[in-house]
Amino acid sequence: MRSSAALPQLPAQPRWLESRRVLTLILLGALVLSLFAVDWSSGVLHPRGLAAIGDIFGAAFRPELSLELAGKAITSAWRTVAYAVAGLTVALAIGMPLGAVASGTLTGSRTASAINVGLVRGLLAFFRSIHELVWALVFVAALGLSPIAAVLALGIPYGGMLGRIYAELLQDVPQPPLESLRRAGASEWRVFWYGRLPMALPDMLSYTFYRLECGIRSAAILSWVGLGGLGFQIQIALADLAYGRAWTFLWALVILVLLVDQWSTQVRRRLA
Amino acid sequence: MLAPFDLSIEPGERVAMIGPSGAGKTTLLRMIAGAIEPSSGTIHLHGRALARMRPGRDLARLVGMVAQQFDLVPNLSALHNTLAGRLGEWGVARSLVSLVWPSDRAQGLAALARVGVQDLAYQRAGRLSGGEQQRVAIARLLVQDPRIALADEPVASLDPARADEVLRLLVAVTEEARETLIASIHTVELAKRYFGRAVGFRNGVMQFDLPTAQLTNERLDALYELGGRDSAL
Repeated sequence: MRSSAALPQLPAQPRWLESRRVLTLILLGALVLSLFAVDWSSGVLHPRGLAAIGDIFGAAFRPELSLELAGKAITSAWRTVAYAVAGLTVALAIGMPLGAVASGTLTGSRTASAINVGLVRGLLAFFRSIHELVWALVFVAALGLSPIAAVLALGIPYGGMLGRIYAELLQDVPQPPLESLRRAGASEWRVFWYGRLPMALPDMLSYTFYRLECGIRSAAILSWVGLGGLGFQIQIALADLAYGRAWTFLWALVILVLLVDQWSTQVRRRLA
Repeated sequence: MLAPFDLSIEPGERVAMIGPSGAGKTTLLRMIAGAIEPSSGTIHLHGRALARMRPGRDLARLVGMVAQQFDLVPNLSALHNTLAGRLGEWGVARSLVSLVWPSDRAQGLAALARVGVQDLAYQRAGRLSGGEQQRVAIARLLVQDPRIALADEPVASLDPARADEVLRLLVAVTEEARETLIASIHTVELAKRYFGRAVGFRNGVMQFDLPTAQLTNERLDALYELGGRDSAL
């Protein structure tokens, strides 16, 4: 740029003084210092630790396989999926409308939408900044150990996440097709339905599937709170030190996640 | 950037904006479409000041445009993209219902048939070829039925035979609807063949405004000559 010639020249600085390099040096120094703070004399693992790790991961290749256990794995996997899907349904009911408002694209009016956007973004941030486990404790305290507690605990923070990402995806669609809709006389509300939503939908869907995957993992963890499902079975097996049985359920969890992954790939391929 | 100029176009005229890339043709078209405001001066469409009109139905009834990239919504069907030309006329409820059960379906299909792509009505626009998308964009213009039709580089990157075909179609549909047609165009031959009047731009300055019959090679050479005194290159 020609105008930069008129600016006063800054004195040349040694390259190692650039702020990013300084930060790197400080962090490296902190890492080295922290290694000295570890008490290495008694070993990092406790004496039986290594053997225990071996036992646990060794059991991955020897899961307990009985008809009864397989039946139990399937019913608890089904329950976990049910929690996850119901939770995600609640999340969609929260995330879709709030995300649309938070994107600030529903009306042309700048001031009206700025207020709504601020409020709704704050609400979404509140929903997702509290972890589903904490929500679970709250709802278990309020509703008791009921499936509704698990579904709400999952749905609320996930709704916050969906809403936030939906808002961004709705904002980031290519502008020229929206312009052409406006030129054809469409109001912002119609531009939303005919332009933004259709164009953002594939990405919204693929993020939702990713969240369903996360939801299945979370639903398994939520059953630690005593709500049944795969997590509950894993917890019992681990308490019995029955690693083989625990792995039966862990593999069921892995298979579930793989199935959801397959499903989402197929849906996305159809939409592409 | 455009230098100040006066230009008045009669209803039903066909005007070609010619000149090299970056001459300001697209800017002018977008101004007439109400997409950008001139920094000074006014634009009147059928006696109404453009600056005083709010975007929406009234403007859409006056001006419509086929953009250079056609600007369809890729995930909607060709039929929905065509019927989007009616969005200014429909109420909110009708617009929403139409996403599932298309309103004015017959009109949309007729427009698609007029431009020769009725077989593709239910294909998603993103899956169509460039030429097919352009035809859908023209169908949308047909359905919108504005008084003034704008076309930004309708024949850019088309081979001569196709270019001829597209222009013939544009001229035919705007003539049937007795619309004014203003198009930016690179090819002087086509401007002479399909347009009655040519306005030349170079680096944002209007160079001439003539019946196409009077376009001489000298004028065109001056318009397209590289490295001139006022060239941006």
